[in-house]
Amino acid sequence: MFSISDLRYQYPKNEEDTIKGIDFEIKTGEIFGLLGPSGVGKSTTQKILTRQLDDFRGEIKYQGKSITDYDKNFYQDIGVGFEIPVHFSRLTAEENLDFFKQLYKTNADTDQMLERLGLYPDKDKKVGEYSKGMKVRLNFIRALLNQPKMLFLDEPTNGLDPKNARIIKDMIAEFKEAGGTVLLTTHLMNDVEELCDQVAFMADGRIVETNTPKNLKMEYGSRLLKVEYSDNGQVKEANFKLDDLGENQEFQQIIKNKKILTMHSQEMTLDNIFIEITGRR
Amino acid sequence: MTAFLVLFFGELQRMQKYHIMTASVLVAFFWIGMLHLIEVPDITGFFILLVFFDIVSMAIIMIGVTIFFEKQEGVLKSLFVSPINRLEFISSKTIANLISNLVTIAIVSLYAILIQNINIHLIGLFFAIMLIGTFHSLVGFLIVYRSNDFTEMLIGMMKYFIVFMLPVSFEEFGLITSELYSNILFLLPTKASSTLITATSGGLDTGEVALAAVYLLVGTLILAYFVNRGFRKFVIRESGV
Repeated sequence: MFSISDLRYQYPKNEEDTIKGIDFEIKTGEIFGLLGPSGVGKSTTQKILTRQLDDFRGEIKYQGKSITDYDKNFYQDIGVGFEIPVHFSRLTAEENLDFFKQLYKTNADTDQMLERLGLYPDKDKKVGEYSKGMKVRLNFIRALLNQPKMLFLDEPTNGLDPKNARIIKDMIAEFKEAGGTVLLTTHLMNDVEELCDQVAFMADGRIVETNTPKNLKMEYGSRLLKVEYSDNGQVKEANFKLDDLGENQEFQQIIKNKKILTMHSQEMTLDNIFIEITGRR
Repeated sequence: MTAFLVLFFGELQRMQKYHIMTASVLVAFFWIGMLHLIEVPDITGFFILLVFFDIVSMAIIMIGVTIFFEKQEGVLKSLFVSPINRLEFISSKTIANLISNLVTIAIVSLYAILIQNINIHLIGLFFAIMLIGTFHSLVGFLIVYRSNDFTEMLIGMMKYFIVFMLPVSFEEFGLITSELYSNILFLLPTKASSTLITATSGGLDTGEVALAAVYLLVGTLILAYFVNRGFRKFVIRESGV
């Protein structure tokens, strides 16, 4: 759906490029996670792909055609979910949605989305009276109101309680199931692990790693089992290779004769991979 | 409905919801109060001054108010990823602004004509408001492009007043009567604006009025070019960089 080649971007007042030659591809129907610490160029990349910044170098193709060749109808195809509130505070939620809906050729059933996200009873309330979580949910509906083919989401579950975060994640998964494509920017690695088919880690304006979450965990994790056990009143620790665990006599002895305190496989979490790859805590 | 109409009616809806239209009406009544308290046999001169001051100042300030409201609420970000183009964004704001100008001036004119019996060419006044309002709405855009917040925008507007409005006001109040000074003033868009409004009460040379109209028309086209050109930088800045 999107192919990005040697993308570079320099802000007018900066001396060096913020984006320093990145290449990646977002396939139709996949959820692509763009990850990295603050200030490495994730938002800039997203702004370029959504055509808020247009004097980039390199090539970006959307459905085989350069994005610079599209007119305003490009936005009929995409939905953008912002992290910060983006609504008229003195208009009700419904008035806000109605205003934006009129700009699009196709509209989603926003009442159904309001209902699902628990906002329907408050749809006639001014957005200025909404809580932070309600505004985040309304932002998500705003992103989906034109039934986009491609969704750009920036921290879609940030500031939400677990129940509403769950609903949003389910809706993103359903969007994908229906053939939609998503570019997801988030710091919440649980969301990434659960939703993303492919992730790219950015550091200093470059993409330093692209892979599936599963492959990353295999690549960066060690296939070890860490066992803590009690031996004559002392707490001891031992590591065993997962691959020959069944035949490992020492492991069998510990299991049989010692009191096991904890036992954990040593696969790397995405949080740790994030830190290791991007080099920041 | 076209994107322009959606944006335009959206502007009108928000003018009502954000009480901008109410403020315009209140300003109109404030002007009426002033005209009512002036104890002169013919208030035409004061009416013209008020209209001149109102159109120029309100056209600039209303553009600032609406854009900075939208910036503050994050709505600009949402609009910039919607299927609209810069011309639709700029023109919808400008024309909605003209409606606000027209409402204020219509109320004041109604009072001036019905109660104070002044003679004003209403069609001429309508076209003058359109031309002056459009020109100064575009000035408003340029000031907004150069301002980070509403306070900076007000400072920019004050600078415009000092450079362009004050010299014309000195002449209007009869503080400076030199012909040379008067001729130099023709370099200013505010003098052209003042000329057009004054012409609605009659007594001005047709050539002078035509020159003022052409000045503002050409000026509007030039400003429109710069407003359109500066829009991209504005979008980059407002997208949060």
